[in-house]
Amino acid sequence: MLTLFKARSVITMNPSMPRASAVLVRDGMILEVGEAENMQPWLEGQEWEVNEDFADAVICPGFIDPHLHPSMAAVLLPMEFITAMRWRLPWGDIEPVTTAAGFDQRMAELHRSKEESKPLFIWGYHQLWHGQMSKARIEAVSSTRPMVVWHRSFHELYMNDAAMAMAGIDPSQIRPGSQIDIDNGHFYEVGLGFAINRLNPWILAPEQYAVGLQRLKEVVHHGGHTTIGDLATGLFNFDAEAKALAEQLEGEDVPFRTRLVAHGTRLTQGGRKPEEGPELASALLDRNSHRLQFGRHIKLFSDGAFFSQLAQMQEPGYIDGHHGEWLAAPEELERHIRTYWQAGFQIHVHVTGDLGLELTLDILQKMQDEKPRFNHGFTFEHFGFSTPEQIRRIKALGAQVSANVYYLHELSDSYAKSGIGFERASQMARLGSCFEAGINTTLHSDFTMAPAEPLNSMWVAVNRRNHVDQVMAAEECLTQQQALEAITINAAHAIGLADITGSLRAGKRADFTVLGQDPLTCDPMALKDIEIRATVFEGRVFPIE
Amino acid sequence: MSNVLPITLIGGYLGSGKTTLVNRLLADPALPDGTAVLVNDFGDINIDESLIRSQSADGTVIGLSNGCICCSIRDDLSQALDQLTQLSVKQVIVEASGVAEPVRIWQHCHYPGFAPKAAVVLVDASQIHQRLQDKYVGKLAQAQLDQAHLLVISKTDLNPAFQLNRLQPSFSSNDPALVATVLGWQQSTQPAAPLPRTVQFGAHTWQQQQELPLAVLERFLREMSDQVHRAKGWVKTDAGYYQVSAVGKELSLEAVTGLPSGAQLGLVFIYRLDSDAHTGGFAPDQITMTLSG
Repeated sequence: MLTLFKARSVITMNPSMPRASAVLVRDGMILEVGEAENMQPWLEGQEWEVNEDFADAVICPGFIDPHLHPSMAAVLLPMEFITAMRWRLPWGDIEPVTTAAGFDQRMAELHRSKEESKPLFIWGYHQLWHGQMSKARIEAVSSTRPMVVWHRSFHELYMNDAAMAMAGIDPSQIRPGSQIDIDNGHFYEVGLGFAINRLNPWILAPEQYAVGLQRLKEVVHHGGHTTIGDLATGLFNFDAEAKALAEQLEGEDVPFRTRLVAHGTRLTQGGRKPEEGPELASALLDRNSHRLQFGRHIKLFSDGAFFSQLAQMQEPGYIDGHHGEWLAAPEELERHIRTYWQAGFQIHVHVTGDLGLELTLDILQKMQDEKPRFNHGFTFEHFGFSTPEQIRRIKALGAQVSANVYYLHELSDSYAKSGIGFERASQMARLGSCFEAGINTTLHSDFTMAPAEPLNSMWVAVNRRNHVDQVMAAEECLTQQQALEAITINAAHAIGLADITGSLRAGKRADFTVLGQDPLTCDPMALKDIEIRATVFEGRVFPIE
Repeated sequence: MSNVLPITLIGGYLGSGKTTLVNRLLADPALPDGTAVLVNDFGDINIDESLIRSQSADGTVIGLSNGCICCSIRDDLSQALDQLTQLSVKQVIVEASGVAEPVRIWQHCHYPGFAPKAAVVLVDASQIHQRLQDKYVGKLAQAQLDQAHLLVISKTDLNPAFQLNRLQPSFSSNDPALVATVLGWQQSTQPAAPLPRTVQFGAHTWQQQQELPLAVLERFLREMSDQVHRAKGWVKTDAGYYQVSAVGKELSLEAVTGLPSGAQLGLVFIYRLDSDAHTGGFAPDQITMTLSG
């Protein structure tokens, strides 16, 4: 059966025909994009139907987030969100809470609404908005229900006595110095590791994890995605993750596909040499199913986490003089990169600071000197800080960029004031320059680090407004066209799926995102509020409430 | 205080000799039983087949015939420490990641049930000076040096003229007393209960502020407490600069024409703690008084 989808406008992302008004689909494949009256030859003698549900809407290529973490989402999503930023979740919008009183009020509401005996896990607290948290504040909500309040960064939490009792934590056994302020139920850094170990039976309970992945499925759908990338499969436990993914993210009711990219150093842990990596990584393809696919991709790590200011920075470094962190010694990173480069893999490297980027560029240069490759797809992931000189090198070495532009919105203000200063903080995510240089550039959320909403990523990239409403380095703003490319066709290229998705043309899969407004012509500030009516995955319609 | 397990950290950049030291510790008869040795990756450790007695189902714990265990950390030290609380462990040795700053791991060693005891850092004599200039890891290498309580200089055969010129206690990795020293090194202000069959060491640094009469220095060194195991450094006297090196009873006091670059004036003392882990006859305040007098 052929289906002819009609739309107010079809944005194709095919430069040869940027706009159309109809798409003809058969068995999940696009037969033709264009004007209905030209499609008659296909319809001759065939059974076909017209779908006019989107006749007043705009059809785009299905959105793609090439870098998020289902396993992290599975842990976080079962928790209750109370955050200072808006989160649009399928089961309800989480409106921002920006005061201490508001936070406590929301805690109380959640407590009242839940079954008494169950522990309550809350995520999203930040002292900047919500004031100083303490056990006393939590106890004021409930002293009988175990309650755990997670900091937004995931690096600290607070518990009441009931939660400590549940987790088998005996306050009298806690000595000073372990980064546990036991009187306040506050666990951070090392203390957090301790708290997590004690709470794991609840956080990682298989039923809970499954619920988390089901919620992730809804979140991904509601964000308008038809393809996502899991950039570090095997982060926690390879077999457990693979099993859970196969159960929850495969099947007729799953409206998207996932590109799985294995965590390179985990793969060869336990006494294996890095040189065994490519063979092990290639063997993973045997596990592929329709919607869950490994390819010849691998993920490696250069410097530390962005959120915790552990990025490695070039001079002048951080204002307070602290050092960033290496996640691997330069020699080790080079060794891993070399083995996958020689084996023809597409290599993705997490880089957050401009020194981490510099090291990785030096290594890539060496690789090109040893074995020149074209179209190798080497991708810099996150791309927090960079210099204009590095943009040239990225271009010269044929690499691409996958950026978490959301950092700009949430962190550029604090980085300007207490991180690295205004100049460099405002120029994080140097995306305009990337496009100018002709580098394939895409956007991702790194969910759960940012909302899994490509339209939100577009909005940040186009407007470059941070959470205190300052425009940061307007020269680096993307146009709406560029931003849409970044979440469709460029993203497809970044994860090696451009042959089947990312744009609408004959021969590709019928993956659409159906919007109420036109993202290329609307007011740039309205991008994040565009209504997503539905997605279409391989020809099948999945409406969004 | 008595029911926390002491942790000795072994740090140092890649290739500095951490694995070699860990292997030596595992095979040494002086390793007290009930020791858990936590390593980054079993693949790097070369445990003698004859030492291995058992291995856990998930492959993360190896039981040794000397009553000790070897565990792989796998990126999460907190979890590895947590698992130890289920086993009958009396003390812990942790091999830090090559890119870790010792103070960060030191902080981790305050995990409930544990307390850090000493940060031992391996230094590759053939690489360290270049490494300190490296644009990527120079700052890290400097931090590893600065944050060490005890430095162990390795690969001196590749660089026999190597001198570190720092006012910090250091041993050569060839030193026959190395294992005993590493096992016994005690740095934290609240010492954990002393280990059986292990000599404990502490260190004291005296920084020189004013010129010292040579006669005073000579007398001081002659009359130094028996508990002093080593003393080393450079001193400015009224007769010029002298390099001091005292190993047990052997004293070497050598006039030098100038100080090597980066050398600081002063002495580093390594002394034995008595059986109650106190300084015993060694009196740091006395030393300061006598030498600064």
